[in-house]
Amino acid sequence: MSDISKEKEIIGQLRGILEESSTKEPDWDNFGRNSTIESLGLDSLTILDLLYDIEEEIGVHLEAKEVLNITTLGELVDLLIKNGA
Amino acid sequence: MNNETSQRTGSARHRVVVTGIGIASPLGVDEKIVWKNLIEGKTGIGPIRAIDTSALKVRNGAEVPEGLAEARLKSMGRRPSDRALDLAVVSAQDALLNAKLISQEQESVPQDVSVIYGTGVGSAESHYKSMQAMFEKGPQRARPTAVPRCMYNAISAGISLQFNLTGANHMVVSACTSATNAIGTAYRMVRDGYAQTALTGGSDGFFDPFFYPVWNNIGVLSKIEDPIEACRPFAADREGTILGEGAGTLILETLESARSRGVPIRGEVLGYGESSDATHLTNPSSEGQAKAMRMALNEAGVSPQDIGHINAHGTATHGNDACESKSIHSVFGDAAADVPVVANKSYFGHTLGASGALECISAFLALEHGISPPNLNIENPDPECRINMVGLEPVPIDSRPVMKNSFGFGGGNGVLVLGPSE
Repeated sequence: MSDISKEKEIIGQLRGILEESSTKEPDWDNFGRNSTIESLGLDSLTILDLLYDIEEEIGVHLEAKEVLNITTLGELVDLLIKNGA
Repeated sequence: MNNETSQRTGSARHRVVVTGIGIASPLGVDEKIVWKNLIEGKTGIGPIRAIDTSALKVRNGAEVPEGLAEARLKSMGRRPSDRALDLAVVSAQDALLNAKLISQEQESVPQDVSVIYGTGVGSAESHYKSMQAMFEKGPQRARPTAVPRCMYNAISAGISLQFNLTGANHMVVSACTSATNAIGTAYRMVRDGYAQTALTGGSDGFFDPFFYPVWNNIGVLSKIEDPIEACRPFAADREGTILGEGAGTLILETLESARSRGVPIRGEVLGYGESSDATHLTNPSSEGQAKAMRMALNEAGVSPQDIGHINAHGTATHGNDACESKSIHSVFGDAAADVPVVANKSYFGHTLGASGALECISAFLALEHGISPPNLNIENPDPECRINMVGLEPVPIDSRPVMKNSFGFGGGNGVLVLGPSE
């Protein structure tokens, strides 16, 4: 699978997760690499749920400290690919 | 009052008025629609949609009409999270808008507001989902945010976070008396100068595959299959209560504050009484109930003869209604035969920790309009109760104070005396 299609697949998976679990209504029209973590309704607490769901759905375990400094969805996708997604 | 202190302001007692009302109920999420349904005698009780009830003895409940709360949450940029919290936030937004503390352009409240809120069950949906995940995947795979989501004060905290309310913030948990206890507590805080403005009320949402079947088993739900007929407070042929979900929110503030802000006054809280039966976990005691009623009357400075009508707890179970009518007789004496009594649970169902709030709102709307909604299913009033139940048609009422009763499992009793705007 190419990097681009892999990236699209992961973004789709993340959207599916957020559609299920997010407590805020993200801006789906502009959902993509440039979406900020804040715009997705995630903070230092709710991102823990995202990591939980990522492990369930994508099978990649990320430590909370690894994502603390992430500000965009693109950075999260890169981190997931780096960790074997 | 500035935003940096919630310390008591002086020693004088303040008059406490209601400047905002918000409701998310089985009769709707707009107070005008709720009032229309009350006056037209339309119940919010129906077959339960949220869960599969095919194996249960009782299948009726009062649910907030599908999609209404969800649409309101979406307009706030929120997604459904926990039913009790969601309904509380929706009703809180309406109450704050109604009190002109927020507007469509200004979503953050510019002054200290304390949140004193009630719930009977708390974050039932979050508890159920967390337990479900634990049983399916094991405790090591429990969702991290289960801890804050399952807190009782997730509801008051959620309201505070949504609207930036920076005063006191806590929950009152006392089963079916929760909202009335919360309103009474908030009233005293405002009256005594510990808060200038308080957002109060109650919320419960519990139609999940654990909580509702358990209530089926405790034997107090009506087995009458027709949802319109099922809940019959103070009727001779009553067979039990029907559960409901909902949230009601009121904004209480000092009369001085309301006048200085120039906002309409919807009513006034005149007095509050509370007591504990200390006799049985689930069976009520008329002594404890009467004690709370007398305390509320005394605090309001009124006699039983001054009460224009009673908004009863009226669960429609045999024991509760018989006990409440006995308590009314104990306090009102001969006047008990005359004072009109209305019981709203045939409309909203028994919304447990929200019931006191929804029924207070109904009482304030009745005072505003000078009309009492009819009692549903009261074709055969129980002669043993010997109280003056409003009949099947709305009736005019005067502007004298209303007594609002709430009694709960655990033996807690809460009674409010409510007055008109002036």
